[in-house]
Amino acid sequence: MTASDDQADVEKVLAGHIDAFEQIVRRWQSPLVNLAYRFCRDRDRAEDMAQEAFLRAYRALDRWRKDATFSTWLFALATNLYRSELRRVPTVSLEDIAELRDPRAIDGGLEDEDRDRVVRRAVSALPRKYRDVLILFYFHDMDVAAAALSLGLPEGTVKARLSRGREILRRKVPRLLATPSMEEG
Amino acid sequence: MIHDNLDRMLSGEEDVVPSSGFVTSVMDAVRREAATPPPIPFPWKRVLPGLASWAIVLVSFLIAVFAQIGRGATAPSVVPSSTLVTILEGAKSIGAGWAALALLMSFASVTLSMRLIGGRT
Repeated sequence: MTASDDQADVEKVLAGHIDAFEQIVRRWQSPLVNLAYRFCRDRDRAEDMAQEAFLRAYRALDRWRKDATFSTWLFALATNLYRSELRRVPTVSLEDIAELRDPRAIDGGLEDEDRDRVVRRAVSALPRKYRDVLILFYFHDMDVAAAALSLGLPEGTVKARLSRGREILRRKVPRLLATPSMEEG
Repeated sequence: MIHDNLDRMLSGEEDVVPSSGFVTSVMDAVRREAATPPPIPFPWKRVLPGLASWAIVLVSFLIAVFAQIGRGATAPSVVPSSTLVTILEGAKSIGAGWAALALLMSFASVTLSMRLIGGRT
């Protein structure tokens, strides 16, 4: 349903009805802001980045070829923008993350919520190529194909970087990732 | 089934809710964008013939200079002053000074135009 709604709204915008773009923004605001937040970890900045992504999408609407769904095209455009935005900010190295030197992170005394936050910070501090793949993979509910489409990379490359990124995290924050949770599947 | 702890931590992240004014803010930016006239493209069609003719002049000048050198001393280790004078005379005879000045002015005017257009977008 959404795909045909998107297509109809895009056609209206291209025909000169700018207000139809509002429906596109309403439909995709949450995913785009959330994706931006996962890259920058700052709510205000995430909204600014998402706004810029919508603006670029508006400018480039006539270049959307219908061989991919509108959402795939939009995510690829937003991902490109977010990655280049973050390139302007120096990456923090894993060793510089203060939380990882917290004694509770070492002796396992952190609460679940804090532990999750520290691990997410650690993902942000990974080298770019691993960070981007991990962010996109988990954003797309662990769908390698969707992550690959957003990043414009072959699935094999995404899988390899995913594996290497996880390996780095396991080596850098071993205690935080040590306890597997048992769940019924 | 044992789930990887990393998967649990990273996929279970809570969603951020966009602020209430987000859509309005985006649409204001989009309307401003729509109201802005498109940038004037750089007039390459007008500039290219001029640039091409100056390139031809420059190439002719270089050919003339090398021809003069070829006609001068056979293989001097250092260019003697008489050869330098011959080169300068050759360059003067084909109006190379004016050509160089015109090339410089063309380059300056193209650079200035590009900067003015770049500043507008």
